Amino acid sequence: MSHFADLNGQSDRTDTAGLRHIRWLVRCLSLVAAILVLLAARQSRWPVLVPALSPFIAVGSLLATRVVVATACLGLGVGFIAMLRPRWFCRWICPLGLCVDTASRLGRRCGRNPAKRFSPGRWIVLLTLAGACLGYPLLLWLDPLAVFSGAFGITGSRTGWLMALPLFLVLTTSFVWPQIWCGRACPLGTFQDVLSHLARYARTKREGPSPERWNPALARRTVLGVAAGATLAAITRSSQSSGPRPLRPPGAIDEPEFRGLCVRCGNCIRACPTHIIEPSLGHHGLAALLTPVLHFKENYCLVDCTKCMAVCPSGALVRLSPQDKGLKPIGLPRVDMSSCLLAEGRECTECRRWCPHAAIRYAWSETEYTLIPEIDSRKCTGCGACEAACPTKPNKAILIAAMEKKAGG
Amino acid sequence: MDKHMNRRECLTAIGLSGLTAGLGLTGAPASHAQGVGESSGFQSSVIDAHNVQDTRTAATIVDGKVIQPQRELPILHQTDVLVVGGGSAGVVAAIAARRAGASVTLVERYGHFGGLWTGGLVVLIIGHIVKGGKQVCQGIGEEMMRRLDKLDGAIIDRRPGVNPTVDAEAAKYMMVEMIEEAGIDVFLHCWGVDAIVTENTVRGVVFESKSGRQAILARTVVDATGDGDLFAAAGAEFEHRSHNVGLVSRIGNLDRVDAEKARQAPKPKHLGSATPVPGVNWVNLTGPEVDGLDIATLTRMEMNHRKFIWNNVQRTRQTPGYEKVYLVETAPQLGVRITRVLNGLNRVRLSDLRNATKFPDVVGVGGSSAATHGEWQIPYGALVPTKVDNILAAGRCISVDMGMADLVRLVPNCFVTGHAAGVAAAVAVKDNCRPRDVDIAKVQKILRQQEAYLG
Repeated sequence: MSHFADLNGQSDRTDTAGLRHIRWLVRCLSLVAAILVLLAARQSRWPVLVPALSPFIAVGSLLATRVVVATACLGLGVGFIAMLRPRWFCRWICPLGLCVDTASRLGRRCGRNPAKRFSPGRWIVLLTLAGACLGYPLLLWLDPLAVFSGAFGITGSRTGWLMALPLFLVLTTSFVWPQIWCGRACPLGTFQDVLSHLARYARTKREGPSPERWNPALARRTVLGVAAGATLAAITRSSQSSGPRPLRPPGAIDEPEFRGLCVRCGNCIRACPTHIIEPSLGHHGLAALLTPVLHFKENYCLVDCTKCMAVCPSGALVRLSPQDKGLKPIGLPRVDMSSCLLAEGRECTECRRWCPHAAIRYAWSETEYTLIPEIDSRKCTGCGACEAACPTKPNKAILIAAMEKKAGG
Repeated sequence: MDKHMNRRECLTAIGLSGLTAGLGLTGAPASHAQGVGESSGFQSSVIDAHNVQDTRTAATIVDGKVIQPQRELPILHQTDVLVVGGGSAGVVAAIAARRAGASVTLVERYGHFGGLWTGGLVVLIIGHIVKGGKQVCQGIGEEMMRRLDKLDGAIIDRRPGVNPTVDAEAAKYMMVEMIEEAGIDVFLHCWGVDAIVTENTVRGVVFESKSGRQAILARTVVDATGDGDLFAAAGAEFEHRSHNVGLVSRIGNLDRVDAEKARQAPKPKHLGSATPVPGVNWVNLTGPEVDGLDIATLTRMEMNHRKFIWNNVQRTRQTPGYEKVYLVETAPQLGVRITRVLNGLNRVRLSDLRNATKFPDVVGVGGSSAATHGEWQIPYGALVPTKVDNILAAGRCISVDMGMADLVRLVPNCFVTGHAAGVAAAVAVKDNCRPRDVDIAKVQKILRQQEAYLG
C-alpha cells in the first residue's frame, strides 16, 4: 500500500523539473475548467461532468442502483486508467487536489506537521461500497469532486453557501494536518489505490506464483469494514427522522436510498432556474444533511424543465422526460382552510389560476357557505405553482406535502 | 298620418345608413345631443316619451305558439356613441367618449350608476395595485378615486400599495356628478334587450322600459352590460361560462361588539371587512358555480343567499359579545361574476400575464387581486368582435381566457377597459370608420391625454 504515502512528496521525487511545471500548468487549467463548467449549471448539463469523473461515485452508484447511466462511463474510464497509472487522476486532474495542496503548503509554512497514524480513507471506501451493495452508499458524498462541486452551491439558493461547508472542512483539515486529505482520507484517492492494487495483484497472479502473500491484516480489515458498512447502512437507511418527509426534486429515488446516493454536489441546486432547491439544514435528520429539498415560497417546478435531473451524477435523481416527470408527482397539495381566504368568503383565485394542470377546482360547500379548493390528484404533479401563488401570510393556505409512498416509485 | 309617414322615412334612413356605413348620421359628432327632439336627422320621428305606449301590440297565440307581432319601434334618441350598461366600465366609457368629443348616451337597467360596484356592493377596489405597489389603474378610474377622497370619509385606505375601499353611496353620488359635468344623455331604468343590425353592422339598440320597447340609434355601441347581452344579440361570437353567483351584504354595529365577552367563544364566521362607514362591514359571499344567465338559477340564488345571510346574522347575534350586530342590507344586485365572454380579434390570456407580453395595440394595463403578480396589458383586439361591426365590449365580458376572467372582472380593470372602449368608439365616430379599423396610435394618444396608463 505504498500509494497511501505522501502523494506530493512521492511525485516530486519521481518527476523531473520540466514535467513538474507541465503538471502544475495542467492542474491549474483543469481547476479553471472545472470552475467554469460548474458555473454553467443553468445554461447546460455540463456540470454533471465534474462529479461524474469520479470512479468512486460511478462504482458506488452502480452498486447501489444497479443501473448504468451514460455519465458513469466517464468515472469508470478514469478508474480503468487508475489501474494502469496509479493516482494518475490525483496528480494531473483533481481540482480539489490543487486547493488542498495549497492549504497544506500554508499549513507547513505555519509549522504544522502531517499526521502519520490515522488513515480514514480506506474505511470510507469500504463502508461506502459495502453500504452501496445494500443500496445505501454511506459516505459517497465525501468524494472530493462532489465536495468541490458543492462549494459552488453559493450561486444557487439563498442557503446554498452552506453546501461549501464540506470543502471548508477539507481545506481546514489540510491546513491543520498537511496532506492528510490526499494521502490518507480522500476516498477517491484511496479507491484508485485499491483499483491499482487489484490490477497489480491480477497481473502478478497471471505471471506466476504470487509474490504478494495473503495478508491477514488486510483481510481482517476488509471483512470488518464491509460488516460495519453493511450494518451502518442498514441502520441509517431505516432511521426515520421525526419530521415530515422532505420534498425532493423531480425524479428523486425513494427516500432512504436517496439520502445515501445523493453526493451533495449541489449541481441540482445550481441548475434549478426557479431557485426552488435548497440544501437541507438538518431539519430532515442528520442523515439528510445538505441533501436537496424543495421549497415553493416564491416559485415552482416548471412543467418542461428537467435540468436538475440532467446534472445529477449519482443517479439519485433519475432522468425523466417532462411527460414522465408529470407522472411521478413531487408531492400533493394540502389545503389549510383556517388560513385560506376562501373560507372567509374572500375573492381569491390564485391557486386555481396558476395551476399549470388545471388540477384545482373550487367546490361549493352548502354547509359552510364558502368555496373549498379541491385537488384532482390524477392531474396534480406537485409542482408547487399553487403554493407559490398562495397570497396568505405568514402561513400559506396551500402547501405541498411529500407523499407517503411514491406512485410508481 | 303625418306621424306614420315620418316613421317610415326613418326606417328607410336606417336601411340607407347601413349602405353608407354610418356616414354622417348625426351630422356634428362633437355637439352633444341636447335631449329628446333636438338632434339632427330624425327629429320628427322621435316620439314624445309619454305617447310610446300607443305603439304596443299584445302578443298572441297562433297555432298554439306565442307570437310577438311585427311592429315598428319608436326611436327615442340618436347619438354618436351609445353605452349600454352604467356599471364601472360603462360609466367610464361614456365619460371617456364624451371627453374625446363624441355625443354620448348612456342606458342603464337600474336606477343608479356603478352596477355591481355599487349595486352589488363590491366596494373593495382590488386590482388597482400590482406587485411592487405600482398603481396601474389611472385615468378616469383614478379621477373617481380622487373625487371619492374629497367626499369626506368615502375612502378609508389609500396608502400606496393598498387597494382602496369605497362607500357605495358616495360612489353613486360621485358618478351622477361626473356624468352631469360631462354632459351625457342618460336613460335609467332601461334594459337593453336587442341590437339593431344591418349587414353585420350595429346601428343602435332596442331597450325595454316602463315606457315600452324603444330604439336608440347610434354610430358606435359600447356593450358594457357585463353579460354581453348586446354583442350576443348582434350575432357576435362568444363563450357562455358558469361562475360563482353570490350576494354581498353589509352588517352594522361591529364597533359595539363587547370584546371582553367575545373572548368566550370562537369568532363568528362571515364577518367581512371594514367599510368607510364606522361600525359597518361588508361581507362577501362567493356562492356556487352556476349559469348566471339562467333565470331559474338566478331566482334560486337570490332566495337561498338571502336566507343564508339572514340566518347567519342571527347566529352571529347569538355569539357572546356580538348581540348588537345587525344586517344593514343585502346588495340590490346579485353578484354574477362571469357569463358571456366575447370571442374577440385578440384575447386577454394568462400566458401573456406570465410572459409579460407587450401588445402594440395596448389600450390599458390591468392589476391583480392580491398584488401577487405584475401588470398585464390589454390589447385593443380583446374589445372588438370578430364578425360584427360598430360594437365594442367593455368590462367583464371582453375577450378573455378562463385564467384571466377573474382578473378582468375586477372593478379597476373594468374602469380600464371601459376607458379604452369609450375613447376607441369616439375615434371611430370622428374618423368615420369601423371600430376594428380605428387608428390605434390616435386612441392611445387620447387615452394618454386622459391620463390613462398604457405601460
